[in-house]
Amino acid sequence: MVGDFAVGKTSLTQKFVNNIFSEKYLTTIGVKIDSAMVGDTKLIVWDVAGRDAQSPINTHYLVGADGVILVGDGTRSNTVDALEKLWQTTTERTGEIPMVVALNKHDDPDWSISAGQQQHLQEQGWTVFHTSAKNGENVREMFEALTGLIS
Amino acid sequence: MGNPAAGQKKLLDRERFLQITRQLYDSEHFAYLLVDHQWQVLEVSDNLVDYGFPLLVPGLLATDMVDFLVGLDATEAITLPFINSPDGKPIRVRLLPEAANTIVMVSDATEEFLGQQMLQQKANENQLLLETQDKLMRELKEAKALLEEKNSQLEEAARLQSSFISGLSHEFRTPLSSIIGYSNLLIAQPSLDADTLNNNLEVVQRSGKHLLSLVENLLDHGKYNSSEITLNPKSVNLVALFNEIAMMVAPLAAAKEIEFKSRSELDGDLTVFLDDSRLRQCLINLLGNAIKFTDIGMVSLAASWEDDQLTVKIKDTGPGISSEHLQQITKPFWQAPGTGKAGTGLGLTITEQIIELMGGSMSIDSQLEKGTEISFAITASRVEAELETNGGPVTDIDDGMRLLFAEDDEDIAALTCLLLEEQGVAVTHVGNGEQALAELNSQAFDLVLMDLHMPVMDGFTAAKKIRDDGNTIPLIIMSASSNSADQARAQQLGCDGYLVKPVDIQDLLAMGQQFLLNRGTEK
Repeated sequence: MVGDFAVGKTSLTQKFVNNIFSEKYLTTIGVKIDSAMVGDTKLIVWDVAGRDAQSPINTHYLVGADGVILVGDGTRSNTVDALEKLWQTTTERTGEIPMVVALNKHDDPDWSISAGQQQHLQEQGWTVFHTSAKNGENVREMFEALTGLIS
Repeated sequence: MGNPAAGQKKLLDRERFLQITRQLYDSEHFAYLLVDHQWQVLEVSDNLVDYGFPLLVPGLLATDMVDFLVGLDATEAITLPFINSPDGKPIRVRLLPEAANTIVMVSDATEEFLGQQMLQQKANENQLLLETQDKLMRELKEAKALLEEKNSQLEEAARLQSSFISGLSHEFRTPLSSIIGYSNLLIAQPSLDADTLNNNLEVVQRSGKHLLSLVENLLDHGKYNSSEITLNPKSVNLVALFNEIAMMVAPLAAAKEIEFKSRSELDGDLTVFLDDSRLRQCLINLLGNAIKFTDIGMVSLAASWEDDQLTVKIKDTGPGISSEHLQQITKPFWQAPGTGKAGTGLGLTITEQIIELMGGSMSIDSQLEKGTEISFAITASRVEAELETNGGPVTDIDDGMRLLFAEDDEDIAALTCLLLEEQGVAVTHVGNGEQALAELNSQAFDLVLMDLHMPVMDGFTAAKKIRDDGNTIPLIIMSASSNSADQARAQQLGCDGYLVKPVDIQDLLAMGQQFLLNRGTEK
């Protein structure tokens, strides 16, 4: 799980793995490891600390990844604009691997993804999910889609 | 063969070394795992379980037991500064590859983790606050810009309203002054010669029609916004209509000493099916504007008919309209600044709306200091000669027509009676609905003409009673109300026609004739 800080990477993971959601924001330090079964496949999820202005992604955490979920916050368009650069950083370490995009917080009334941004993401050929860790919208579907791409 | 004693000593040294190493790891909060490059466990420090790891015994695959090792390359040196151990404890993991084995060093990172998390949490929350603040500032700026735009629109609306009221006042005062002035003249000088008398009466009539067109424009503007403008098409002789218009506007041009030309390419017997009063309204608006704004030169009107389409062009040699003003000119209440010409700013708006309602479109071509040409085309169907009877001249059917007329306004009643009697109609006038019912019970009539707003019993009540009594006599409402709800109610009550005052007596007679003919056919 790769993305800027506070976009909901941990929330998406927890919703998927444990079916829980908390409104309280607790920043991730380093990486959190969780696992869940998707069919017969055991998916080990590395929930990597979010990037911020002072700390770039620690690419050591990306070593060995078979797939990536790039996560942006649909209410903070700058975190969506950042996805392209994040993907570039990721692939420099991992090479081209399966990837899907989550635009999270789709339940939030402050959702502000412009048509231009949406089109730009689609032009990259990326599979984009509008997700909500809060109500579970597209969460399982997204993890299953990535697992399908990896297997 | 080596020395057994030396070998024994070497083994003791190694055990001693490992013992010391373990003590060191414990005291410095380290644990370790020794694996080969395929992640097979070779050796484990006794304290590894204290760091949340499962019991790993030599021979097992470490990647089967520890999720975070899956996918890692045992031959690559790597440091994972903060990672949760299998039971969730914050640990630091370092992979130290050697030639055949790899040491996985594990240390407790709880203290550093908590410290960094506190700092990072604050930093991220501050950053989120800053982002929220930026967003709010942007929204505030947008709201401010929107408010400024609204304010500017309100100021413009206030300016237009003020200009509209002053223009309206001027527009009304001019014809009213003529009507009052010439009426006074007629009263004061009853023995004028026929030409002067005629001329004065024409001025009064022209001013009255102008006032009527102003009122119609104002009312239509309100109606258009609520989609209430309706068309009432009928058979119309176009040549007669254009001649009438030309005669109406020619004196206006003459009064300004400009030339007025009317060129028609229409056949004399061309009769089409359209709303003549709306077409008249458009032509008067456009020609009135052209004459108002032209001080030197001429205004021309041209009409042609081809393929069921009426095309009208109105040209003037006025000051012209700038391209900037052309964008604004059909907006309600808009008037070009600095022209010194008063108006309501509604004529062009209404005209364009009516033309669109008639399925046509209006175009304006103008050049500054050269003049303006406004043209429009509307589609209508031609009426064949044998079908013209409805709109044709009044015939002898009026002679002997017995008409019951209910109207409370004495002046309108007297005028209408006079005009009808001139056409040979026998009129019985009453002042309210109750009297109308009494008359209907006492004598026979061919037609009832009924005002709506009357004392004692209004027109709606009277119409309802007439129909409730089973009386099917043709019944026409004549009212000052152009409200579509009133018209709908009249129709619902069984009235046959609805005319809005002031009524052209020819229209009234044509409608009456039609109903009588229909009744005759039905019988």
